[in-house]
Amino acid sequence: MDNNKKIKNIIQALGEHKDSQAAIEILTELGTNSSDDEIREFTAQTLIRKNTHESLRVVLISKGKGINDLSARVAMASINELLSLKDKSEAIKILDDTIKMHSEEDVRNTARSVRALMTFSS
Amino acid sequence: MQIGKLSLNSAKAAQNTTSANNTPQNKLSSNPFGVSFKGNVIQADVFESANKSSITNSISEKGKLFASAVVSGINNFNESFKSRMNSIVSFGKKVTTNVFDTIERIGNTEVTFNMDGIKNKLFPDRQYSVKNLTNQPVSDLKTMWQNLEEQAV
Repeated sequence: MDNNKKIKNIIQALGEHKDSQAAIEILTELGTNSSDDEIREFTAQTLIRKNTHESLRVVLISKGKGINDLSARVAMASINELLSLKDKSEAIKILDDTIKMHSEEDVRNTARSVRALMTFSS
Repeated sequence: MQIGKLSLNSAKAAQNTTSANNTPQNKLSSNPFGVSFKGNVIQADVFESANKSSITNSISEKGKLFASAVVSGINNFNESFKSRMNSIVSFGKKVTTNVFDTIERIGNTEVTFNMDGIKNKLFPDRQYSVKNLTNQPVSDLKTMWQNLEEQAV
């Protein structure tokens, strides 16, 4: 088992961990700031699957993370994961707030695009 | 008549001389039939000897010697057997004592197995299975993650 596979298993374990708040903090600190695209991608997907307000905020409104990642691969994987959520209500609420209130224009534009995709897909 | 007397006397004397001559011969051999070979009476004790007692005596003497040798041999064997048995008995006692000591030690020894540690040694990747990781504290997972990133660098 290579190190990336081990890290992926740790990310998955953190996604299923009972101590959800602490797990999200670690995923945000280590996963979304990883230099490896694959790790950032997997972390974003895990945070979206948790589908909590705290986890979705990290990947929707933070510049350079989740849907705002500079890597197209990570951004597209995050959007796909959002579109495949069964309950999209929390994600739409955060995206609406971001479009209205976020200080960064790039972030607001990305949020608007994703919000449109989610409207069409649901 | 005298001739007759003489002849009778001479015959008696001759008979006496022949009997006197024959007596030592009879003593030397146990040949009761006077069997001769080429004119000589066989002297050798070809038949069963009348002087059996000497051979019997020698045999009995030899027997006594043999018996005494056997008895002394038995005595020596008994002594060596006793000494060997003593050493065997003492060895057995020593073994028994050691076994009892070992059993007592085992009884007083608390044996614990760190099954998780053994499993992780046998299956190193098991430590990184999702099921195993989910049961660990978040802080430990963070440390493991950081260590893996350091290894990659």
